[in-house]
Amino acid sequence: MICCKECIDLLYDYIEGSLEQETSKSLEEHFEECPPCIAFLNTYKSTTTICRDTLNQIEIPDEVRRTLQSFLKEHKNQEEKK
Amino acid sequence: MSFTQQKEDKEIEEALVRDLQAGNLDAYDKIAELYQKKIYALSFNLMRNQMDAQDVTQEVLLTLFRKINTFQSKSAFSSWVYRITLNASYMKLRSKKKEPNVSIDELLPSFNGAGFQQEKIQDWSENTESLLFTNETHEVINKAVGLLPEKEKVVFLLRDVEGLSTEKVSGILDLTIPAVKSRLHRARLFLRKKLSGYFEEYNSKKGET
Repeated sequence: MICCKECIDLLYDYIEGSLEQETSKSLEEHFEECPPCIAFLNTYKSTTTICRDTLNQIEIPDEVRRTLQSFLKEHKNQEEKK
Repeated sequence: MSFTQQKEDKEIEEALVRDLQAGNLDAYDKIAELYQKKIYALSFNLMRNQMDAQDVTQEVLLTLFRKINTFQSKSAFSSWVYRITLNASYMKLRSKKKEPNVSIDELLPSFNGAGFQQEKIQDWSENTESLLFTNETHEVINKAVGLLPEKEKVVFLLRDVEGLSTEKVSGILDLTIPAVKSRLHRARLFLRKKLSGYFEEYNSKKGET
């Protein structure tokens, strides 16, 4: 039977689905007997999802977009003159 | 995105890179349009400052143009863009005053002698929905990611936020695959712990009312 420490060390590969079948099975046996580790697994997974959803919302602000546009235009004009 | 779509995108991108290498300025506009959001978002997430992210984005766009002939198609063009963005962001960060580093180890899970978890673990994963779109939650998440040490942060941003494959991240950062995995795992543990405080408090408040 594996302990909580081993369980948490294995979480990454468990979620990726890259564990050997046997290891995966003993991990699941641990989960059956250990609600705290299930809670840990769920919140570990949630952490990735909520961070990704939040950080992916970043858009270029309008003023930055305008600056970038005029920067690119100016740069292109300089290159065309060359 | 379907496989054919990805393949088409890749072909379009390769054609644009060839055109730009041949000196076609319209290709430059298109490449800038394709990549500026990725460049801006990654540099913003690393530096958390609009002006700095704007500077870095300009610099990267300029570098793409000036150095396009040094790009070798052995690796993906996007990997090259990510690398240039990371270098430019780190240069910028180095020129600023450093914030004290947080030790990641203090926030990793702790176990007793028998290998059992020592702290009480609450499952808040079901209750994040209603909180996700509040400004306070954004603030908490941004702050937590901001506290990650650089080494872990960059792996987390590329792999979990950008959604790149472990192999691609390992190529961009010149790290082994096990090193990418271990940094990502540490980053997730650190963030989980940081977010737990916030969501657990919310849950217990909800329980009271």
